[in-house]
Amino acid sequence: MLELSSRKVSGASQASAARIGVGGPVGSGKTALIERLIPVLRGRGVDLAVVTNDLVTKEDAERLRRSGLIDPARVLAVEAGACPHTVIREDPTLNMAAGDDLEASFPGLELIIFESGGDNLASTFSLDLVDWWMFVIDVAGGDDIPRKKGPGVLKSDLLVVNKTDLAPYVGVDLEGMLTEANAVRAGKPVLATNARRGEGVEAVADMICRAVLFHA
Amino acid sequence: MIGALLAIWQADTAFPSGGFAFSNGLEGLAAAEGAFSADDLEAVIEGALRRRWASADRLAMVRAFDRAMDLDAVARVDHEVETTIVSEPFRAGSRRNGASLLASHVRIGTPGAGEWQALVRAGRAFGHLAVTQGVVWRGAGLDLTGAVLASGYMTISNYTTAAVRLGVVGAVAAQTIVRHLLPVLAELAASPLPDRIESFSPRLDVAAARHARADLRLFSN
Repeated sequence: MLELSSRKVSGASQASAARIGVGGPVGSGKTALIERLIPVLRGRGVDLAVVTNDLVTKEDAERLRRSGLIDPARVLAVEAGACPHTVIREDPTLNMAAGDDLEASFPGLELIIFESGGDNLASTFSLDLVDWWMFVIDVAGGDDIPRKKGPGVLKSDLLVVNKTDLAPYVGVDLEGMLTEANAVRAGKPVLATNARRGEGVEAVADMICRAVLFHA
Repeated sequence: MIGALLAIWQADTAFPSGGFAFSNGLEGLAAAEGAFSADDLEAVIEGALRRRWASADRLAMVRAFDRAMDLDAVARVDHEVETTIVSEPFRAGSRRNGASLLASHVRIGTPGAGEWQALVRAGRAFGHLAVTQGVVWRGAGLDLTGAVLASGYMTISNYTTAAVRLGVVGAVAAQTIVRHLLPVLAELAASPLPDRIESFSPRLDVAAARHARADLRLFSN
């Protein structure tokens, strides 16, 4: 007979893999960035897995599973119940359970990446779910996004400004956008990437390694 | 008094339990049947209360609650639940929802939650929602009456919340339905428990099966 005990099992003591979040608006390049990060991090010896939160399909999960970049069993999809922010903030338990499943399935797992469904500038990750999170915006969304100071822009541990190559085609002053982003974030890091070409991805990987993996 | 407060705590949608991601057949039903009135929605929820919750979920929760000090016995209830849920999307949803509720209670440190999760992880139990509710709510200190009411209320509120997100009904109109169904829940909660776990909701079962094959969907089932 198993008896009930009052032993407290905290998330911190139970979890062994670092958990990070990747959030941001629809189409900002979250999945593309993860596709670029996977080989870079694996090349550094990081044992990782991914949980996606597609809003209405499993497209992001299927895209990663078929990419050949990662064992498809290491990619789980969690439905967002029509609320992409709920599943990462107000009620992250489905994601937490998915992370627990991955840790149980892959002993030695060091990093779990939670990709949010596309949301708005107010989305943030619960620290129940992740240890660290980045917010991905892109130049085509408009250079006024940093000025709007949404919680995602302000509170994330790293702000990524993606699709830098598109700046001249959408009338965006990239340098000015990055200057404003740095100004509103009061010293928190901002990185520019062109995920499609892999530019800036090593710097994002460096930051993840330093922040949660304690790799040099 | 604390028993009532504990039941409110667990029935509150602010308590993270994963329930928001499951429509339990409603998304499939709304897609298949097109126009879906507030009266239709109320009838669907009342049917689910009478022929699924009262005779299956409630009984499984009560049995798990009663046996919570003997998790091997709870596991036998859990296996009975697994074999009595006809619809695969409902079965999978119940397991996943149970795992989510458990994830919260393990982290909170609810007595029994860690042990029950270990049993599920070891493959000795499935961790169905109703069974998991019985275990963690007993550990959390709810009384049985409060646990039954919390379980039934969550059945109603999960459906109405999903209906609002699906655009079937407005947020205020949904509360009219909740109010109408509270006496039904009170009546069912006070009714004698059946001898065995059984449910009959073919319309929702078929809708959930169709939904499982849909390319576009907001909810897990």
